[in-house]
Amino acid sequence: MSDRLRAFYGQVVAVAVALAIGAIIILMVDESPAKVFVTLVRGAFGDQAKIAGTLLQTTPILICGVAACVGLRGGMFNVGIEGQLFLGGFAAALVGFALPLPSGLHMIVALVVAVLAGAAWVSIPAYFRTRYNTNEVVSTILSNYVAVLLTSYFTIFLFKRPGGWSETPPILPSAYLPEIFSFSRLNWGLVVGLVLAVAVAWLFRHTARGYSASMVGSAPKFAEYGGIDVKRQGFIVLLASGAIGGLAGGVETLGVHHRFMEGFAPGFGFDGLIAALLANGSPIGTIFTALFFGALRSGSLLLEVDTNASREIITVIQALIILSVSAQVLMKRRGDSTAGERRWKF
Amino acid sequence: MGNGMRNLFKKYVVAGAMLAASIGTAGAQDKVSVAAISGYFAQGFGVSIVNGLNRAKDEFGIDLKLVDTGNRALDYEEQFANLAKDGQYDLIFVMGWELVDALQKASEAYPNQRFVFIDGVLDSDKIVYANFAEEQGSFVAGALAGLIENQGSSFDKISDGKAIGFVGGRDIPVIRNFLGGYEQGAKYAAPEVKVNSVFAGTFDDPAKGSELALALYGQGTDIVYNVAGPTGEGVMQASAAADKYSIGVDVDMCGSAPGNVLASMLKRGDIAVYTLIKDEVEGRKVTPGTRTFDLASGGVEVKVCDDIAANIPSEITAKLDEIKKEIVDGKIEITKAK
Repeated sequence: MSDRLRAFYGQVVAVAVALAIGAIIILMVDESPAKVFVTLVRGAFGDQAKIAGTLLQTTPILICGVAACVGLRGGMFNVGIEGQLFLGGFAAALVGFALPLPSGLHMIVALVVAVLAGAAWVSIPAYFRTRYNTNEVVSTILSNYVAVLLTSYFTIFLFKRPGGWSETPPILPSAYLPEIFSFSRLNWGLVVGLVLAVAVAWLFRHTARGYSASMVGSAPKFAEYGGIDVKRQGFIVLLASGAIGGLAGGVETLGVHHRFMEGFAPGFGFDGLIAALLANGSPIGTIFTALFFGALRSGSLLLEVDTNASREIITVIQALIILSVSAQVLMKRRGDSTAGERRWKF
Repeated sequence: MGNGMRNLFKKYVVAGAMLAASIGTAGAQDKVSVAAISGYFAQGFGVSIVNGLNRAKDEFGIDLKLVDTGNRALDYEEQFANLAKDGQYDLIFVMGWELVDALQKASEAYPNQRFVFIDGVLDSDKIVYANFAEEQGSFVAGALAGLIENQGSSFDKISDGKAIGFVGGRDIPVIRNFLGGYEQGAKYAAPEVKVNSVFAGTFDDPAKGSELALALYGQGTDIVYNVAGPTGEGVMQASAAADKYSIGVDVDMCGSAPGNVLASMLKRGDIAVYTLIKDEVEGRKVTPGTRTFDLASGGVEVKVCDDIAANIPSEITAKLDEIKKEIVDGKIEITKAK
């Protein structure tokens, strides 16, 4: 069995184990697992509006997932995507309502600013990582809290829409990411995500820069011996990952909410990270895992209304998936004598 | 089959289907179905709403569905659509300003669905609004504070400063309405007592609330009414630190600083939802428009904390009862500020 096939097989088992334990928990709250799973599927794919709803939920998970893939492949564990998403979302809103530009151009400028905001935000942990070898896991996690509170501060004290909930003024229609269908809020952000996933996969497979980044990720000593500036490469990888995180926020602002609200999209950064881990750091694989999580999320909204089970059962299933995936990684490492040399095995 | 025949046949089928449908809906109408959607069912005011819903469920045997929105704005619209799509619920109660956008879209998309927005009034005329007469409750709170302040140093923890205070969240019309009622109540019951009011500028900063309240207590103010959400929690803490009095708002806050909380001005979300469901069950259909819950209907009330109630002289209690009665009878007119 090839490595890739074995990895795929392992992930399927992980998901199956998680769903089985989830079924037991559903039985414990006196609901039929069959009914719950059928409702989940109906809620995710029941009609065209539901399918669009699933894709709408998939979009931010996918883009955040690609951001995580870039980090994972390059040997950098960017846990700060959540914060980069908030900064990117806020920056896009700011351009959207404060800087009138021609239609189309406005949207592109806002997205570019979101990308820059995400990159700028991650550049702080990235600098410390490169200069002082600070653990980027810790510093990027911490930067999330600062980002969420900082954008809250901006929203409430500096840019609040007069007389409303804690949100910025609405962005101008010229900055909207257009919707794909008339019956859903699903927008071209999904296409942005798909193109990005394919582009990143291509970059890693077919370009020298992508190859050196993934060499730094999988075998840093070898990469250094081969003449790659490992520190510089790590910095660039983190910056790219953060830039994509910022883009995810920009897409949410310009495509869905059309303004920035305090605490506007909590948890997508982490969902994306999980999707990327489940896909073994493969951007193409992340398309499918993000769709899986998007469907779970979207299905859970109907689940809550049509059955007695709580929507949070989905969070439980997600957590179980993480547990079984990491258990698997640990088991794999035990059989691999070189694993101790590596930080992450992908 | 000729055209005429076909049309006749069609007519019968359609009539039959309509008959079946009307029997079907008549059966479903026997039981009132209610849903409620909010992100705050576990906190203060939300708990009170859940209590009212459960009481209605116990008494009338209604179908009840609670939907917790969580905190992802992305989900709200689908959650509303899932609830409204089958027309299964007679009334859908909605609480929380962050849901306003999704609510307005859903009420456009499902014009036959009746939504009840709790604690606020929006522009749309297709929605039922459950509103509270805060100015009436605040009037009674102001009267209570004024009468006690008037006792001077004969009352525990009160000085002879003849001043009571108010800490508001942000300076917005709804909070001005609380303040207006409070000032009018104090003036009515104890004209010589002064009201010092300040606004924190935020609802989310307990430290600021505490700081402002301590400043007021430092200036000889003995009783401070907080209408400031989480900022107000700091006011309650400050009353314990300064060993003075505070008055809570929305929910029973006597436990925040036992011995230092004089009373709470309650907005009875439970009474509002229970009353609306009762109307619906008993055939008085709830229709779009504003329903105000006031002192008369028990929608607002001032609850004096148990540990303080024993110390309050009977003439003050009697005077307060008289004031409440006069408000209910319309003898006291309170100017609204919104």
